[in-house]
Amino acid sequence: MLNSPSGFAMPKSLHAVWEGTRAALHSIRAHAMRSMLTTLGIIIGVAAVIAVVAIMQGLSSSITQQLDDLGSDMVTIRAYTTQEDQLLGFNKTLSYDDFLVLKSKVEGVEDMTATMQPFSFGSTVSYGRNSVQTQIIGTDSSYQNVVRIYPEYGRFLSESDDLRRRRVAFVGTSVLKKLNMSENSVGEFISLNGEWFRVIGIAETQGSIFGFDQDNYIITPFSTMRSLSGDQVTRNIDIMFRPSDPAKLPEVQEQISQILRKRHNLEKDDADDFEFHSAEKTKKQFDSVTQSVTLVAGGVVGISLLVGGIGVMNIMLVSVTERTREIGTVKALGATPQFIMIQFLIEALVLSLFGGIIGLILGYGVASMLTMVMPNMPSALVPLWAITLALGFTTAIGVIFGLAPAMKAARLNPIDALRYE
Amino acid sequence: MMPTEAQDTAIISMNNIVKSYQMADETFYALKDVSLSIEENDYVAIIGPSGSGKSTLMNILGCLDAPCSGTYFLGEQAVASLSEVELANLRNQSVGFIFQSFNLLPRASALENVMQPLVYRFIAVKERKRLAMEALERVGLGNKIHHLPNQLSGGQRQRVAIARALVTKPKILLGDEPTGNLDSQTTLEIMALFDELHAEGHTVVLITHEPEIADHCHRVIRLKDGCIESDVRRQAHA
Ligand SMILES: Nc1ncnc2c1ncn2[C@@H]1O[C@H](COP(=O)(O)OP(=O)(O)O)[C@@H](O)[C@H]1O
Ligand SMILES: [Mg+2]
Repeated sequence: MLNSPSGFAMPKSLHAVWEGTRAALHSIRAHAMRSMLTTLGIIIGVAAVIAVVAIMQGLSSSITQQLDDLGSDMVTIRAYTTQEDQLLGFNKTLSYDDFLVLKSKVEGVEDMTATMQPFSFGSTVSYGRNSVQTQIIGTDSSYQNVVRIYPEYGRFLSESDDLRRRRVAFVGTSVLKKLNMSENSVGEFISLNGEWFRVIGIAETQGSIFGFDQDNYIITPFSTMRSLSGDQVTRNIDIMFRPSDPAKLPEVQEQISQILRKRHNLEKDDADDFEFHSAEKTKKQFDSVTQSVTLVAGGVVGISLLVGGIGVMNIMLVSVTERTREIGTVKALGATPQFIMIQFLIEALVLSLFGGIIGLILGYGVASMLTMVMPNMPSALVPLWAITLALGFTTAIGVIFGLAPAMKAARLNPIDALRYE
Repeated sequence: MMPTEAQDTAIISMNNIVKSYQMADETFYALKDVSLSIEENDYVAIIGPSGSGKSTLMNILGCLDAPCSGTYFLGEQAVASLSEVELANLRNQSVGFIFQSFNLLPRASALENVMQPLVYRFIAVKERKRLAMEALERVGLGNKIHHLPNQLSGGQRQRVAIARALVTKPKILLGDEPTGNLDSQTTLEIMALFDELHAEGHTVVLITHEPEIADHCHRVIRLKDGCIESDVRRQAHA
């Protein structure tokens, strides 16, 4: 007689899980199409969020790296006009004199430069019969130290270029390409809005950030630009500097604030009419954008997983009803309520986890495809936390929404279940 | 004629079993004060008109249903005191069920169906297979183990069901009209199988409303309106 249980290789609960998994896989395979449709909600939800996260993370890591390359130590001071003042027609400015005073007075600065973008002068550059639009910057020799831009050929602007208002240009590589100029065009003449400039240097190629070409510019001496386009353009300039010690940046900014506030005759309660921009700050802003997009995506996945979970519950309830007689039969054969409960729970779990895994793969695939198709996009990146979160979430969904059907199955009265037509 | 003396060898003993259902306006008694004892290796037919309470009695015998009052001992075990889990285990250990409509698991092969009760015994898969093969060979289906139920004839399905009932080596085999869905030729084959099982020492209790089937048994209990109308012990057949 084999009336006592034998072969206790595993604890009973583990055994039930193992048998439950076998039975669940069996049943999912038997209804492959239905199982697929059931988990569609979960698949789509997980795929959507993984795609968004993958793209955002890819962007974020590439931006962070590029911002680091740019040097997060560089700070730009720019005039700041409140919206109210703008509506009233006031525009705050930073003047060349502001710059001269700052440059002579502020301590703890490695170097400082003034830049202007002479929009009134135009932005057309031509060589031979070709002409293109570019960004024309007027600045001085310090620009090289602050922005850390270096010549591949020739040289950068010198102090005397600025003093003597020479018509010389330091050119980004994109401009050369667009104008069909040779790689080393030092000594050639280009025309900026009808004025001839001699090319004295070609910059190292920077590449693009976030799809923006970083090599489409022409740098000319500040004073040359001012003389060509009139004082108008120097009424508002940008001032850039690099602190000697990045840790001392707050103190440097404090000095600058005090000088500028005094020069601009600001009262004690008045807000600054200038602001500081740094790559560090941009990075923080970008991070907060990434964060909110990720949060929104999280909300979307939450809702779609909820919908997906209800789908799983629905199909599980149908499946319990469909298999009422089978449940009655196995109860007659000696299945305990716990065993049946575990089996149906695992079926729900496997279903939703299965959806989660397919969604993961699909989401990554979609993200990879999108980043391949879109120009200048960094490749998609799925961080481990997103995988863990997606699978953890789908597991929880499976358990939570599988519970009701599993309990229904476990509680079935064997007689009623056997009689069920 | 009602043998009421309690026997020491009784594998089943029921005393004053009542089963009633509360209907809208009245209480309906499916079993009224049934007392019954069955010895080991007995071969019992329970007969009676439709609605007389045969299945109700069988479900109580098989621990699938609980009586409203009365005591029931299966072996030494007082069934009324058992929890749901203990009842499940008792069904698994001591009872082999055979249903009129076979009740095989539709997506499982013959072998898997027969292995199923052993799942609840926590027996290793290899051993399960061995025992199930043994039971299938016993009922003459050793060559059909991988067939699904819908690939088998009615008689073959019932053989699988019998193998499934046998595989746990239970104290009693209970059949609720096990030949009710079979043609007369197949009925004869299945009854021959029951005869053999009885001869091998199994305790067999069958519900039927066909006199030819009752003829195979050694004891015939006739139910009517929830009461035992007669309980006749017959001479063994040739
Ligand atoms: N769950 C139930 N609720 C109400 N009445 C029931 C229920 N189950 C069985 N009955 C009644 O009990 C009586 C006996 O049923 P049953 O034991 O199935 O009869 P038999 O198997 O002898 O044909 C029948 O009249 C039936 O209608
Ligand atoms: Mg019946």
